[in-house]
Amino acid sequence: MQLLDIRNLTIELKTADSVIRAVDRINLSLKEGEVHALVGESGSGKSLIAKAIVGALNNRWTVTADRMHWQGVDLMRLSPEKRRKIVSKDIAMIYQEPSLCLDPTANIEDQIAESIPDEFLKDVSIFSRRSARKHRVIALLHKVGIRDHEKVMSSYPHELSEGICQKVMIAMAIARNPKLLIADEPTTALETTTRAQVFRLLKSLNQLKNMSVLMISHELEEIADWSHTMHVLYCGQMVEAGPTASLFNLPLHPYTQALVKSMPDFEQGITHKEALYALKGTIPPLAHLPIGCRLGPRCPQAQKACVVTPIVERSHGHAYACHFPLIKGK
Amino acid sequence: MREYLLRRLSLLTFMLFALSIFTFSLSYLFPGELLTNLSGLTNSNYTSTQLLEAKYKLNESLLQQYIAFLGRITHGDWGISLSSGENVFEHIRILFPATIELCVYALITSVVIGIPCGIISAVYHRRWPDNLISSVTMLGFSIPIFWLALLLIMTFCLTLGWFPMSGRIGLLFEIDAVTNFMLLDILLADFPYHGLAFQDALHHLALPTIVLAMYPTTVLIRFTRDSMLHVLEQNFIKTARAKGLSQAQLIIHHALRNALLPVIKQIGLQFSTLITLAMITEVIFSWPGVGRWLIDSIYQRDYPAIQGGLLAVSMFVILANMTAELSHSLLDPISRNKAHGKI
Repeated sequence: MQLLDIRNLTIELKTADSVIRAVDRINLSLKEGEVHALVGESGSGKSLIAKAIVGALNNRWTVTADRMHWQGVDLMRLSPEKRRKIVSKDIAMIYQEPSLCLDPTANIEDQIAESIPDEFLKDVSIFSRRSARKHRVIALLHKVGIRDHEKVMSSYPHELSEGICQKVMIAMAIARNPKLLIADEPTTALETTTRAQVFRLLKSLNQLKNMSVLMISHELEEIADWSHTMHVLYCGQMVEAGPTASLFNLPLHPYTQALVKSMPDFEQGITHKEALYALKGTIPPLAHLPIGCRLGPRCPQAQKACVVTPIVERSHGHAYACHFPLIKGK
Repeated sequence: MREYLLRRLSLLTFMLFALSIFTFSLSYLFPGELLTNLSGLTNSNYTSTQLLEAKYKLNESLLQQYIAFLGRITHGDWGISLSSGENVFEHIRILFPATIELCVYALITSVVIGIPCGIISAVYHRRWPDNLISSVTMLGFSIPIFWLALLLIMTFCLTLGWFPMSGRIGLLFEIDAVTNFMLLDILLADFPYHGLAFQDALHHLALPTIVLAMYPTTVLIRFTRDSMLHVLEQNFIKTARAKGLSQAQLIIHHALRNALLPVIKQIGLQFSTLITLAMITEVIFSWPGVGRWLIDSIYQRDYPAIQGGLLAVSMFVILANMTAELSHSLLDPISRNKAHGKI
């Protein structure tokens, strides 16, 4: 079943003299139980898309979309209050700096307990509700792999490590049994071992609870092996989307190809101090976006036609936006 | 926690020690006869001079004199006022409660008005409630309080006649001074016109409290607003919103506690300004407090009184600051574990 269906999502920032289009007509759809990766360099608008879905963008940004359906309900047409209710019931989000996302003046127990909705405790009598809530908090902590629940529950966020904070965030996120978990670069602040733990946790949540995950990351190799579908973004434009495997094996867009190439393959044997492959140039700042295909100035395949924004084309469940795709024979 | 309290207390002792040294040195720095400055007695004859010199240990080392000074301070012998000829400590004991009363009511008023206004102004950021509150605050912030006091006296006392112009209570009532806090004394006193006296005292309090509360209120509004706006921008507020909390829950459970922490500190810092402003207010409204007495003493070159008044006021400010600091640390889990005390 289609959980999320977004057409032509555009996010704009109004400045004094112009309108900057940070995200340009993105299409995104997500099925139940699917792990979808949103990949791109920093500044490509990945986080903006996630925040636009949950409605956490502040007033400076204007969000427009032809449709943004959540299980058939158009979120764009709802009042903010109704939208907040639907979104908070079914969608949970975890962020890249977990310790900043926890209230510094409340202890962990209160913060997790708060995210357990009252409906879950309906059949418990009012008097034992407090202890029932506490039991649930402990169960949630165990579920995310925190064994020492006594200590963590009575701690304040500044007393815990980033890794534990992120696990607490995940515990808070799954407290409502959401259908979709949006993970916005959840492992950026973590060490490698904790990073692996968090990924394993998310993977098991997806497999055991059939929870969809929208994974936002700029590290391709980490999500490549467990995401089902993938979206590659560049500068707020969709570059290529499709099943992860086919995207990796047969990239149609020069940017995707560059991304795949830039992953150092140690099995192939890289010689000592060999230069790694990287696309020349850097991602342009939002204030100086090129017209047409935004990859234009950096693209190895660019030609004159690239000053016009390419139309998204589809073939075999694979969508790409390029005038000169890497299809043999074309 | 106990260690923290110990550190705080040691800091307090140190500050009081520095303060006592300063006060002690004042009698040597003031112009005039040292013995007069210390005792408050003028024109003493030879025998009494001998006695006083022995009492103040003037012929011994400075250290001995300082120890004697500390002994006298703790025993309540703060010298004798040059102008009234009475014990300075007795003056302070009677006058200080009037000042504290005024300051406390003004502070309560400013907290009760200032914090909600600041919160409203932050929640409705850049909409009409915010604009209204911010502009009124700007006005109140920039008005000099002596001018405000005169304006209020002109409208409410002279033209409308709603409030009395000076004093703590009407001359009709005679209240026994027990605690020297007027409202408390009225409640404690046992006489038939209880309610009327209380009302009268409140009437007398109204204008000085408004005048004195004006500055701290505006400061608190601005501070609460900024602090609240800052907190509302934080990531954990966004997370809490994504958790499904309503706007009211969000503000009460998360934003308020975080935003009020720096405000508590600010309230403590306002105390010194408040005392200074209270002096002006007391002079204008003929409020029989320590501020007016101190200013009168300065005019009359009453050195023992100035010394005693300064000591009492500074001690009070230090203690108030300490209390604010302590309550801040009790409420803030991050600063609770800070190892070192700070002024």
